[in-house]
Amino acid sequence: MKSTSPVPEDRVLWQDFLAGEVRAFEKLMSDNFRLLFRYGSKFSKDRELVKDSIQDLFLILWEKRANLNPDAAVKPYLMASLRRLMHRHASSRTWVGNEALQEEDDYFEIEFSVEEEYIAHEATAVRSQQLETLLNALPRRQKEVVYLKFFQELSREQIAEVMAVSPQTVSNLLQIAIRHLKSHWKAESFIFFLLHFLF
Amino acid sequence: MDRYNDFAVEDFVWDDFFRQWTLSPTPETDALWDDWIDANPEMLEKVEQAKALVLSLRLHEPEIGDAEINQVVKQTVGRITATDEQVLRPASRRIPVFSIPWMQFAASIAFIILMGWAVYSVMIKSDEKPQLAQQDSMGTLNTSLTEKINTTNETIQLALSDGSRISLAPKGRIRYPERFYGERREVFLEGEAFFDIAKDAEHPFLVYANGLVTKVLGTSFRIKAYDGSREVTVEVKTGKVAVFAQSDPHLKEKVEDKQFQGVILTPNQKIIYARDEVKKMVKTLVEKPEMVVSKAEIPQFEFEDTPASDVFNTIAKAYGIDILYDEALLKDCPLTAMLDNQTLHDKLNIICKAVESSYEIVDGQVIIHSKGCRN
Repeated sequence: MKSTSPVPEDRVLWQDFLAGEVRAFEKLMSDNFRLLFRYGSKFSKDRELVKDSIQDLFLILWEKRANLNPDAAVKPYLMASLRRLMHRHASSRTWVGNEALQEEDDYFEIEFSVEEEYIAHEATAVRSQQLETLLNALPRRQKEVVYLKFFQELSREQIAEVMAVSPQTVSNLLQIAIRHLKSHWKAESFIFFLLHFLF
Repeated sequence: MDRYNDFAVEDFVWDDFFRQWTLSPTPETDALWDDWIDANPEMLEKVEQAKALVLSLRLHEPEIGDAEINQVVKQTVGRITATDEQVLRPASRRIPVFSIPWMQFAASIAFIILMGWAVYSVMIKSDEKPQLAQQDSMGTLNTSLTEKINTTNETIQLALSDGSRISLAPKGRIRYPERFYGERREVFLEGEAFFDIAKDAEHPFLVYANGLVTKVLGTSFRIKAYDGSREVTVEVKTGKVAVFAQSDPHLKEKVEDKQFQGVILTPNQKIIYARDEVKKMVKTLVEKPEMVVSKAEIPQFEFEDTPASDVFNTIAKAYGIDILYDEALLKDCPLTAMLDNQTLHDKLNIICKAVESSYEIVDGQVIIHSKGCRN
């Protein structure tokens, strides 16, 4: 593990933000916007809604800045807050009779794909395709854990914070997901091998 | 590192330390893994595979441009500075403005008016000084494009302002500007069309069709991009064509670069682009390749005891394609044949039969498989 300096850059930025510096607000928001936009898009297909939610999130944080934890880990904290905000949004909108937003509570849309440029061998191509299928078929919460762990590189504790569950639950979900990916993968490769052998 | 000794490929793929090394290697991790592989050479193949898998696995992330982010940030900053200047804080919790329905409505009206004004002013300006008007990529100025839809049962001919000609197949739909301004000539196609593009090296010609971008300087080619179909094909008749996906992360660069980037197609080559498949672009030959040399230059396809390698060279030159073969094996295979009236594929078939070889088309090239015929 790389050891970073005791006070990371985004921590300084966060504390400047809490101190009420507009410049820090602007930088914090633009530095994290893309990340949050991508994460938020997992909960709603509506681009504008995601953008508005991020805007709301920062406005709310700015208002509450006197009461926020100066030592919070910024990235997971922002992700967790956006997640909460969007879920609240979804549930508060349902009573207006707006579409089938109730379902969006469970919505976690993510699509894994394989970039062919790295694949040199036929066997690897087959494997990567299987992996893609398996990943895309994972249940919603397992998908989210895999996403946060391997694609956002969050720690177990940070994932727990983002998803509002215990660290133990994160470990369990992750283990189930990985075991699922490995076991099915083996079975499928085996079948592939058999087919290959027979014909 | 011993715990890795009995790892399978999939164990590596999900191993934190392995991923860390693959995705952001440092001199230290490089040394550690290289040593381990040296000590366990049988693991090399697994490591290579796992590496490829880790690197290839991506997410389809929705994109958002820097400009768009900037706009929202600026707007939000404007909002907090405005409220900070107000007399103290409003007593009640301020509700985010955009959640009030009528404000949303008012904002959209304002936005529409603003956009209308923007489009209007751009159009007026482009009327005034056409040489300065910069046409933005990807048809943001759709409103100023002419649209032609072929509702007849026959192919119709269109002439563009730069002298290029388009043969639009029935049901085809094409949008193009009345006059081309700016650095690029850009049109949008749905359906099938044959393009004969006037040469203008300074102004690349781009066709956008079903997610595929075809870029040329001056050539002729055919595009099939049917609405319901997931595939787009581009077949080149003359000249050179570059194609790339509209979803390409380096799209802007590829569009703007004076050099050709992307998959390059030469005459008689064809690309099949399937958006949803892993292997997105497949390069092959058109169904009926035609000779690229002028009538006067068409060689005699009459061979008498000619080494097969020479025969392949003659054909490759006439059709402007690459034929790959093992020179050492084929120069001792004499061939006597008359091949003037056959198609390319028939010619290849006849030759291959005669010299006990076979051929396949890989990546737009012909590859001859031969065991030689030295008896």
